[in-house]
Amino acid sequence: MKYYSPDSLDAYFKLRSKLAGKDVAVLAGGTDLMPRYERGLSMPDHLIDLKSLSKLSSILVSDDYIEIGALTSIQDLHDHAVIQAEFTAIHQAAHEFAGTQIRHRATTGGNLCNASPAGDLLPGLYAFEAILELTNADGQRTLPISDFILGPGKTALSDGELLTAIRIPRDHWDSKFIKVGLRQSMAISVINIALVYHHLEASFTHLKIATGAVAPTVITLDEFCQAYQLNPSNLLQHIQLIDNAISPIDDIRATANYRRTVLKNLIRDFLTNG
Amino acid sequence: MLHHPKPDLFQLSLKVNGKLVEREIVTHMRLLDFLRNELLLTGTKEVCGEGECGACTIIMDGQTVNSCLILAVEAHNRNITTIEGLTNTQELSKLQQSFEDHHSVQCGYCIPGMVLSGEKLLERNSHPTRDEIKYELSGNICRCTGYHKIVDAIEHASDVDAADEHR
Repeated sequence: MKYYSPDSLDAYFKLRSKLAGKDVAVLAGGTDLMPRYERGLSMPDHLIDLKSLSKLSSILVSDDYIEIGALTSIQDLHDHAVIQAEFTAIHQAAHEFAGTQIRHRATTGGNLCNASPAGDLLPGLYAFEAILELTNADGQRTLPISDFILGPGKTALSDGELLTAIRIPRDHWDSKFIKVGLRQSMAISVINIALVYHHLEASFTHLKIATGAVAPTVITLDEFCQAYQLNPSNLLQHIQLIDNAISPIDDIRATANYRRTVLKNLIRDFLTNG
Repeated sequence: MLHHPKPDLFQLSLKVNGKLVEREIVTHMRLLDFLRNELLLTGTKEVCGEGECGACTIIMDGQTVNSCLILAVEAHNRNITTIEGLTNTQELSKLQQSFEDHHSVQCGYCIPGMVLSGEKLLERNSHPTRDEIKYELSGNICRCTGYHKIVDAIEHASDVDAADEHR
């Protein structure tokens, strides 16, 4: 297995074109890839380590956006002052993410590219309407996160294209992350929820809810949120719209029914009690 | 241990416990296997091999990481501390002494990882609460059910000098 660690995007894309058609894998934090190799996934002939692309591990803050480099570790994301102050749901998800050792290695971009239905950062990024920057040798394009993740383990990345940054608008919404797991740490979520909102007296002037592990990808409950914002008194009736939006399955962590019930109860609880 | 049908060699250079180490290794070797099998630093343990249990915890460039999830080549030019390098002498660190004082060790397999995680926490916060200790140790699993005494040891590590006087 040949190992490469290019230190610029230029060098990376040159390498990719040199290795076109070969058995190539890219490595970021390795916290998801290495266990797969342990369990018998065959290692590639050519492994490209992205961690020397140091430009991709910084967080830039402008007036309108926060831009998270794809190689930003979960720990650095968690510790960032603007994430803590303005993106509570993302900060909370990073706080509950695996354990300390994993948070030091796992990357924000890696969590996105793995496209796990239960990825804990994803609901927050959906609910804050993150925009992803994808780069290839010819240039860049941007995609909303909901168009980037296509299914479990499937993304819109084309061959040789890299996820380079995640941009989130600084809208100053309030937010909250809720994780239901079998254990507090190191547990894959049974369900996870991010709620991004703005209150004006008793009503919500903004409400966006995204939820994971209840469908092949994270789902945003837009129909429910709109109905609820129009007529908050009919909460119990609107809650059925959540049932239509999700398609959970039975697995080793929980049954589909449990997921439906817990999700609806947690959302109802949040909207009634805050 | 990982395998590859087409092994390739890499000239690895890194610092381990303060000493410069240079070795030619296969690129698919895990850092854990490099430390244990090449450098014979067997204080770092393997249990799950997939980053769940923390027995293989080491400190790389100042951060605790699972050495089973890292290839040795990824540690090129990095600075590694293992449990063997925690103190430069035969004496125990304050925290290690506290583990002994609180009878925190049963089978001992998880302890190198627990100690390193505890040391990094105490470096940032010399008087952590029990909740802060549990949060920091959530990536280190003990299957002898010894968590209480491990948490006790970390909670009271800063009192170790005072305790010594009463011995």
